[in-house]
Amino acid sequence: MTTVVARRPLRRTLLYIALFITSLLMIGPFYWALATSFKPSADVFASPPKFIPSPWTLENYRDVFTLLPFQRYFFNSVIVTSAIVGLNVVFDTAAAYAFAKLRFPGRDFVFFLLLVTLMVPFQVNLIPLYRIMVALHRFNPHLGVDTYSALILPGMIQVFGIFLMRQFLRSIPDEILESARVDGAGEFMILRKIVVPLAAPGMATLAIFTFLGAWNDFLWPLLVTNTDAVRTLPVGLALLARKNTVNWGDTMAGTALAAGPMILVFLVLQRRFIEGLTAGSLKG
Amino acid sequence: MVAPALIAAGVFLYVPIVFSGYWSLTEYSGLGKPEWVGLTNYTHLFRDAEFRKALLNTFLFVVLGMGIGPVLGFLSALLLNNAVRFRGFFRAAYFVPVMTSLVVVATIWKVLLNDQGLINQILSFFELPTRSWLSNTTTALPAVVVTSVWQGFGFETVVFLAALQGIPRELYDAAKVDGASYWQQVRNVTLPSLRSTIMFVYIIGIIGSFQVYDQIYVMTGGGPINSTRTLVFDLVERFNQLDLGQASAVAYVLLAILALLSYVQIFIFERGGR
Repeated sequence: MTTVVARRPLRRTLLYIALFITSLLMIGPFYWALATSFKPSADVFASPPKFIPSPWTLENYRDVFTLLPFQRYFFNSVIVTSAIVGLNVVFDTAAAYAFAKLRFPGRDFVFFLLLVTLMVPFQVNLIPLYRIMVALHRFNPHLGVDTYSALILPGMIQVFGIFLMRQFLRSIPDEILESARVDGAGEFMILRKIVVPLAAPGMATLAIFTFLGAWNDFLWPLLVTNTDAVRTLPVGLALLARKNTVNWGDTMAGTALAAGPMILVFLVLQRRFIEGLTAGSLKG
Repeated sequence: MVAPALIAAGVFLYVPIVFSGYWSLTEYSGLGKPEWVGLTNYTHLFRDAEFRKALLNTFLFVVLGMGIGPVLGFLSALLLNNAVRFRGFFRAAYFVPVMTSLVVVATIWKVLLNDQGLINQILSFFELPTRSWLSNTTTALPAVVVTSVWQGFGFETVVFLAALQGIPRELYDAAKVDGASYWQQVRNVTLPSLRSTIMFVYIIGIIGSFQVYDQIYVMTGGGPINSTRTLVFDLVERFNQLDLGQASAVAYVLLAILALLSYVQIFIFERGGR
């Protein structure tokens, strides 16, 4: 298959043209956003379009920080995302280990009950979750709505994460675990010394897709945050875009600030990211 | 060891599912007590013009997006599966939007689709008709679809590419010996080998598309005149109007649609896999 096209020069040229045009369509909008973020507001919709900002300015970036506490949003996103990733890696893996390797009554039935919830979209739980967070806030003002806990708790485990880790852990041979038990190792010792090192690549995958989901999450953070103290980047950016329908340069500067770090991390860890996000597809 | 996960699942999954179902059968504003009204919320919804519009728009969004996205993903995977230089670069180019939050992508496209935005400028340069894409009732939904496909099809590209590379070469060699052309090989070797991957892409894609919200919120706010109102948007609107009963009923309609689809897909998959 690889050689069918490759051997004919004309087809090969067409192939590269097609690839070039499509990647231009993919990268172009990002470039346009970045270029716009450096334009004075008069030039944003200049005709003919200015593909290179001239004159260029950092004014938009200054505006973003004076209009909204963007550094705070960034900080909040980092805190919330790290907590969700950490909790998922620990709890999903622990549960997956139990479902994969331990024997207890009703194990497979409980696992089945968990799997069924994969069919339930998050929005079904939205309103009750919101009410839970309101109740929690009444119970203790440091918890619930408009605190980090509201952003973190509903995402602390993922059924898909448990499922994925279970698939992964099942490939560890029982004999290794048995011989450790014979040698007198406790379950937590086995987990720490044998399972975790062997499961590390799976946990990396879990961490990456949890990270992406949490970092980009929008609807839930939008609903449970009312103050800048806890708002995350996507919520902040959406506010900026709504607040500011005149000066698109500012909004594009906000976009660049929100997306830039993520894109840089992706370019460095590309292979891992792609594997992480498409995990399960080959078995599916 | 399963205890933390089960407690979390109990509190944040099972309890909400049950309450959502219960509230869908009540009149409830969030204050005071929910009042039992039976199926009234559902009968009301299906007579409600806004809800029906939302249902229709959501189906349109799913059909249009799923009609275009996976096909584009498959074609670009075919392109990338050739022995090309810089494959890593091209693959990354397709994949960057997938990593980026929908809010970011929607904001960028809102600028591109602006009346005086780049897209209209390019169109008028080629003397093609320009439009107010996002403030026109006929073009707003397709514009949101294009944005969503642009954001998501890189995922499908990468999934298809990985699967393409797993197809044994011998199958193609055999087809070539029989004199099959490139497109005949695609049809008779590639597509059948990708059956489970295609299934996976559509399941994930359809479930995700039914939940569309972020890009609507940013790009159109459900407008103009509800022309981009979707099910989840409708749900959140009713929730914001403190009509928790009807909002929960919308949630359960969404659940019913997805459950039915999952059932149908599993059914097709089981039969096809044999």
